[in-house]
Amino acid sequence: MNDVIERIGKLLTSRFGVPAAEFSAEAVLSDLDLDSLALVEFGLVAETEFGVKISEDEVSPTDTITELATLIASKVA
Amino acid sequence: MTSAVVCGIGSWVPPTVVTNDELAARLGTSVDWIETRTGIRQRRVVEAGGSTADLAVEAGMRALKSAHLDRADAVVLATTTPDYPCPATAPEVASRLGLAGVPAMDVNAVCTGFLYAAATGAGLIATGVAQRVLVIGADTFSTIIDPADRKTTAIFGDGAGAVVLRRGEPGELGGFGESGEFGGPGELGEPGELGALGPFDLGSDGELARLIWVPAGGSRQRSAGLAAPAADRYFQMQGTTVFRHAVVRMIQSVRTALGRAGWRIEDVDSLVSHQANARILAALAAELGIDAGRVVSNIDLVGNTAAASIPLALADAARCGRLRAGHRVVLTAFGGGLTWGATTLRWPDITPM
Repeated sequence: MNDVIERIGKLLTSRFGVPAAEFSAEAVLSDLDLDSLALVEFGLVAETEFGVKISEDEVSPTDTITELATLIASKVA
Repeated sequence: MTSAVVCGIGSWVPPTVVTNDELAARLGTSVDWIETRTGIRQRRVVEAGGSTADLAVEAGMRALKSAHLDRADAVVLATTTPDYPCPATAPEVASRLGLAGVPAMDVNAVCTGFLYAAATGAGLIATGVAQRVLVIGADTFSTIIDPADRKTTAIFGDGAGAVVLRRGEPGELGGFGESGEFGGPGELGEPGELGALGPFDLGSDGELARLIWVPAGGSRQRSAGLAAPAADRYFQMQGTTVFRHAVVRMIQSVRTALGRAGWRIEDVDSLVSHQANARILAALAAELGIDAGRVVSNIDLVGNTAAASIPLALADAARCGRLRAGHRVVLTAFGGGLTWGATTLRWPDITPM
């Protein structure tokens, strides 16, 4: 789980312009300036990174990083 | 197979500009919301009483002038916003261009329309129906947008772009050809001659038709004999779902077209995609591994002009020197249908009008 959070953090800071200082497990996606289109873009990138498909109705800008990581972890498992 | 070679290009947008300031005030949103989500700063809209044909005639005239031609043997018009539900708009455009009598038809593949029309034009040449085809992409989405829908109102603009395709000489195929070599500028008859359209990749998925549609006004609603709700008479789009399909389909289509042409991603000088949304362009380029410097975009100035967007972007890029003769260009688009497509060409030595 921590590993997934760490990998999400790397993707968001390197590809989505999220400042490393603002990233945390508790951060809400919209507070990181990730809107619904950014989550679609993240889904495309995550498909390569984690090998799972995330559709736009499974994740919302009001979710936290931990909730996103839980979703990805459940699909990887 | 006989190739089709781009030998002229023209474009036209109506003079009326709608800025984000005006839209933000009218729609109760912010300039920042529009810019960050779309990358669009302004768009053009047709004047009251104006039409798609008006824009298409202007762009078509300019493309013929750019090709140093008075005539074309056929007119193919890509549009989703014809002047009337019936008949097609292309015959009127042909007549107003002084081409009365030539074969003329509309092609509707929504935002992929220009690529479908170009493939159709290449087919008319390959079958010997025509030697020179005027291929126009023209749309006036401002006439079908729901004025209460801030998302689509912010995205779409009106415009037209056109190219003239001429019959190529034998061997004027696009791409590098079998030998892996390609001709230099002006080397007629060599594989990869400038302007020759490469192999096309075109596709569709009708199961997802309702992601991008106008529900009312067609036979399904009219046969029911019931008046349609006001919103159903306007264009509707499921933006975020469309975003994902657009990126995924254009990636696949670009890879297929490049493979058929014998090009690698690193061979591409310019990616010219349908100007749907600046963030779609960025995501597409990033996933393909094409750096931002090789992406052609004019969406900030004209918005999403549907079938007109590729020839408008090409003409603008050629006009400012961003596209030069010999550049290896990949074109790709995605739109309602769903439809998508891609093709390649080496940019010809032409002056956009």
